[in-house]
Amino acid sequence: MTIHELITVILLVVGCFFFLAGTLGVLRFPDLFSRLHALTKADNLGLGFIAAGMAVYIASPWAALKIFFIWLFTLLASSTSCYLIARFQKEQEQTKNGKEGE
Amino acid sequence: MSVLIDGLLAILAIYLALQSLLAPRLIKSVFLFFAFGLALALAWVRLGAVDVAITEAAIASGFLGVLFLDALRDFSPAFPAKQKNPEAAHNVLVKNNTKSLLLSRIPLGLGLGLFLLIALEAVWKTPEGGGLTAAAEAFLPESGVEHPVTAVLLNFRAYDTWLEIGVILMGLLAIFAVGGIKVYRKPNMAAQDPMLRQVIMFFTPVLFLFGAFLLYFGKTGPGGAFQAAVLWGAIGILLHLGGKSIIEEIPRWLRQLILTVGILFFLVLGFLFVAGGNALFEYPRAYAGLLILIIETLAAISIAAALTAIFANLNQMKEDPNETESIN
Repeated sequence: MTIHELITVILLVVGCFFFLAGTLGVLRFPDLFSRLHALTKADNLGLGFIAAGMAVYIASPWAALKIFFIWLFTLLASSTSCYLIARFQKEQEQTKNGKEGE
Repeated sequence: MSVLIDGLLAILAIYLALQSLLAPRLIKSVFLFFAFGLALALAWVRLGAVDVAITEAAIASGFLGVLFLDALRDFSPAFPAKQKNPEAAHNVLVKNNTKSLLLSRIPLGLGLGLFLLIALEAVWKTPEGGGLTAAAEAFLPESGVEHPVTAVLLNFRAYDTWLEIGVILMGLLAIFAVGGIKVYRKPNMAAQDPMLRQVIMFFTPVLFLFGAFLLYFGKTGPGGAFQAAVLWGAIGILLHLGGKSIIEEIPRWLRQLILTVGILFFLVLGFLFVAGGNALFEYPRAYAGLLILIIETLAAISIAAALTAIFANLNQMKEDPNETESIN
């Protein structure tokens, strides 16, 4: 096993660990906000590690750049959708509380 | 090792399909359908059909998923936490229809069995050397493109592709025919969101560029009009969700022109050379590459516009007249 492959395996395993942690969080956390937190933070970090692992494995600067951009776009999209879901939920709760208060 | 991965993927796809069908709540069905589409796309990649995989991920999982999500919103206006006892409703339905269900099950089972037999026979009979692959490869230099899938889709069997563009247009016409019924109680709140706006502004040129790349890359590798069209259609859908409905803002005649230019140009070109003694959809060899690129570009524009129009027509942001009256 070369040093390249070793680094790849370590990065992939770390990435899988974060994915597992994120999935566990989605399944176990009590409310929507903490679940969103688990999903968007841990999973994106995991994806980053897996992307880094693949970039090391392919070992070509062009491919590494492309993989980096994939990760960047995923980060942007997932953080935006996380924010939108959280905002929707907050508005729902506010209207619910407002109705109860009347 | 690869057999293990393929086996797991096959089991996963079938499991997700079953779960999606059997899920008690609609929202669960829809999200399982997303996952199923991705598993299927991975399976296509494993089979070496990257073109199909991109189309599967983009149209079947992406675009259909968006339409399903939109439909979901209609069934549950404000995403209620739980449907009222879905199982009970299901049981009532089953009890009432036991007889008719049994009757419909027999032909359904027979038909499914027949379909499976035909599918098995088709798999069994796959000729050595992959059927028409050799023929397609042999005539590749004459097609004007370098990727066999594109050559088949836009030159050897252009008629099929032409009809496919027509199918999407027909779908749009059907939606136009029954559309305009739905009215939302609340105007879209997300439209005024500054963060969503910024992200849409950022993604619009990226999606456009990537779509154009896929379109041009279709000449030499996996990609092409349909894949590019979905990305361009995604721009339209994103802009629509962000409160800028481009399809409604451009003039009516231009909209109609954009929607039909792909299929019309394809048709005119297909028949134009019949006069010169060629077969239907046979292009002059010297210009085949250029003509295919023009056809693909116009088709992509038309399909993208059709996909955007389908979504925009199903998701009109009107305020409910009754609601505003009650507020006033």
